[in-house]
Amino acid sequence: MGEPLLSIDDLHVKFSRSEDEVYAVNGVSFTIDANEALGIVGESGSGKSVTLMSAIGLLRENGKITSGTANFQGQNLLKLRPKQLEDIRGRDIGVVFQDPMTSLNPIMRIGDQIMEAMLTHHYAGRKEAFERTLQLLHEMGIPDPKSRFKSYPHEFSGGMRQRIMIAIALACEPQLLIADEPTTALDVTVQMQILALLQDLRRKRGMSVVMVTHDFGLATNFCDNIIVMYGGQIMEKATTDQFIREAAHPYSLGLKRSIIEVGHKGKEILPIPKTAKTLTAALTGCPFADRCNYTTDRCRQEVPQLRAFGTNHELACHHAEEVACYVR
Amino acid sequence: MAIVKFISKRIIQIIITLIMVITVSYIMMYYSPGGFMHTSTMATALAPLQGQNPVLYQEVMNQFQSRYGLDLPLWQQIAKYIWHELTFDFGNSMQNPSLQIAGQLKQALPISVMLAFGSVLLSVIIGVPLGIIAALKRNSWVDYVVSTVSLAGQAIPAFVLAVIMVLLFGVVFQGILPVTGWGNWKQAILPIICLSAANIGVVARYMRGSLIETLRSDYIRTAKAKGVKYWPMIMKHGVKNSLTAMITVLGPQFAFTVMGTIWVEQIFAIPALGQVMQTAFTSFDYPLAITSVFLLGSMIMILNLLVDIIYAFIDPRVKL
Amino acid sequence: MASTVTATQSPDSAVSKQRRRSQFYQGWKRFKRHKLAVIGLVWVVIFCIAGVIGPWVAPYDYRTGDFLAINQGPTWTHIFGTDNVGHDMFSQILYSIRSALIIAVGATLVSFIIGIILGLWAGLRGGLADIIIMRAVDFMMTLPGFLFALILVIMLGRGYLSLILAIGIPGWAGYARLIRSLVLSMRDGEMVEAARALGASQAHIARRYMLPNVVGSMGVALAFGIPGDLIQIAGLSIFGMGLRPPIPSFGSMIAQASENVLGFPWLLYFPAGIFAITLLSFLFVADGLQEAFSPKGGN
Repeated sequence: MGEPLLSIDDLHVKFSRSEDEVYAVNGVSFTIDANEALGIVGESGSGKSVTLMSAIGLLRENGKITSGTANFQGQNLLKLRPKQLEDIRGRDIGVVFQDPMTSLNPIMRIGDQIMEAMLTHHYAGRKEAFERTLQLLHEMGIPDPKSRFKSYPHEFSGGMRQRIMIAIALACEPQLLIADEPTTALDVTVQMQILALLQDLRRKRGMSVVMVTHDFGLATNFCDNIIVMYGGQIMEKATTDQFIREAAHPYSLGLKRSIIEVGHKGKEILPIPKTAKTLTAALTGCPFADRCNYTTDRCRQEVPQLRAFGTNHELACHHAEEVACYVR
Repeated sequence: MAIVKFISKRIIQIIITLIMVITVSYIMMYYSPGGFMHTSTMATALAPLQGQNPVLYQEVMNQFQSRYGLDLPLWQQIAKYIWHELTFDFGNSMQNPSLQIAGQLKQALPISVMLAFGSVLLSVIIGVPLGIIAALKRNSWVDYVVSTVSLAGQAIPAFVLAVIMVLLFGVVFQGILPVTGWGNWKQAILPIICLSAANIGVVARYMRGSLIETLRSDYIRTAKAKGVKYWPMIMKHGVKNSLTAMITVLGPQFAFTVMGTIWVEQIFAIPALGQVMQTAFTSFDYPLAITSVFLLGSMIMILNLLVDIIYAFIDPRVKL
Repeated sequence: MASTVTATQSPDSAVSKQRRRSQFYQGWKRFKRHKLAVIGLVWVVIFCIAGVIGPWVAPYDYRTGDFLAINQGPTWTHIFGTDNVGHDMFSQILYSIRSALIIAVGATLVSFIIGIILGLWAGLRGGLADIIIMRAVDFMMTLPGFLFALILVIMLGRGYLSLILAIGIPGWAGYARLIRSLVLSMRDGEMVEAARALGASQAHIARRYMLPNVVGSMGVALAFGIPGDLIQIAGLSIFGMGLRPPIPSFGSMIAQASENVLGFPWLLYFPAGIFAITLLSFLFVADGLQEAFSPKGGN
């Protein structure tokens, strides 16, 4: 394999609040290759979106990247000036956000919103951009593109709006698409349609996709590789196949169980106990220790580092071997 | 045409509101103790005459009452009055029966309209950019000045400001700008500034808040993700959207401005609607009073209608 | 080091009376951070005290003028000067404060009481009552209350009570709308729903969730209402429709003085200055309250 398309190394991000600080991302490293579909799975607040948003300069105002690098095509995105990042966003990296109801400008015709991406980057001239917009709308499965060009977002359903969002993200044929919970706000059937569309587009265009989601099942269906995040750290990282077969981090197991068992009648759903906490200080132990069934004193005193656990499989748990034995 | 339908619907609403205004004010004035609207008050006033010359008394009563339609039942009086007002047939003053109200208003009304619309325009032209700057440079000195001035503008009514202006330009900087009367454009400057000052602050404050809110919205994030440059993003996505949010609050604010004109006219001694109203109200000249209330209400509602039309043009979600 | 991982406020954390009291205390603390609001509060307090004790500390009667000293600038005997009939301006202002306060507080209360009654009616009854009341609210809100006040003054006259009613009656719409929305948000509010779902008792819900919210919103509305009414009173006086002379008022002093501002500008300095500072102070206080107590307040 050649150079990875995007490689994030030892990223740390903090948010300052009125009284304290939130440690959102605490040393995350991963790479994504050309043509790869990577799934980043975790609960809300696990730092999965923040990781990617900070790489492309879309962090909220109160967020601060304290250390790390994000190399994309030989440039460290974190060191670029805002203007240089503007050139990369939309042209080389496209983004689809979670809520299509609020992510489109309500008072701008959707055609103009798609065209804007191309015109901003001088990707196409006015006429060409218009033609391409129609083609994109068609490709996204929006009937009658010519008349829909002039419609406003409120005239579309949620699913259709998400298709428009995808069209915007893909307008300049980026090499990397970041899909931040792209189907969370949609109905189940629409979710499937959007996923199928994304899958299809990825194959046709040969682009890489990072799918950020809390839906473990969705990630395993769509992605080649999976990263599980918790407390701003990577808990486990593996190919999808391996992950399904031999995930051994207690948190991943919890995630897996919570979807697998829902389907079985009569069986009790086993959620992960308690809710996630917000980190307001640097970690001194495993972030999952409070909710884990296997916690020992060591977990509370020593931060587990990501380590190899078989081929193409890494995890951060002191007791993974025992857990694996116990589960199997 | 949707827009025609929208406007005609709103005009009907306005007319209904005006009918209610006329009805309420007519009834209240009919039962007021001062003046001659009610037969009994008229009778009390003319009581001495009744003793001396009953025939003349009856004649005066009849003549007066039939001239102003006071001999009819109340509801007919009101209906007649509404019809006259809506067809701009204002009749004659009660204090100076020879004076036509329309003639009196011919000079006064345009001045008031000009003052009101001029100050609304000025406050938008200055307030919107100020608000944008305050929002983009949050917590800078511009921001503090805007928020303090707008608070002060909200607190200090136009007439107090007018008084301060009179002091400043009448005493301290004598001779730079005229502080009384009406006739040339220079005399419009101070009144319009007084009327706009509060609005500039309010418009700027709303614009600031609205833009800050808008810039936090998801579609701004989408624009950033598209790589849209800073100023196009602010103007096309931020400002345009925050204008829609701001416009809705402007209506009531401008109503207050129109009201403010009649105060400011008093201080600057401008012969406009305010002075007509003062004469009408202090001398119990009911036809004149109701007509001026009617015109003031119309001005406010036409201004609101204009705001709504602009709103509908900017925001496609508004159903016409 | 103890556990460095701390929980943010979770919904089931224990709530007690202490917490509720501390909500007001927290509000007061936030209010105190607002320098302008505190300065405003000091002025408002001085203004109110002056209104109450005015007649006892005023050096001169408001009715009688000193004909030997007309149109004087500030001197030791008349610290704010005298007007064209020799009234001592300092005493005039003290009496004006009194009359302005009586009418403003009275009118605000009248508006507030009508607003509470109609707002509760609309919010609790719903249905036709709600529709009619809200239509009336819309009608009242389209036109400035001052217009109605003018007409009411004609009908009611120009005494204290008449002015209180004339300014108070048209002002109900805003309060009614506020009360109605509070009622509705309380009935179907998510917070109350959540509390109920957690098994909180009715009384507890009322105390813990409704009371601070209601008191905060109403306090803010009243704080904004009083300066608004002060403006209307002065506006009526400028129009020659305020309190009958010889009772002094800010509006009539301002209107009179502005007629001869070139000759005797000091007659304007004190009334206009004090009036403007008072309005500003009330507004700063209201603004401070809003940021301190309103649930959505602040930037």
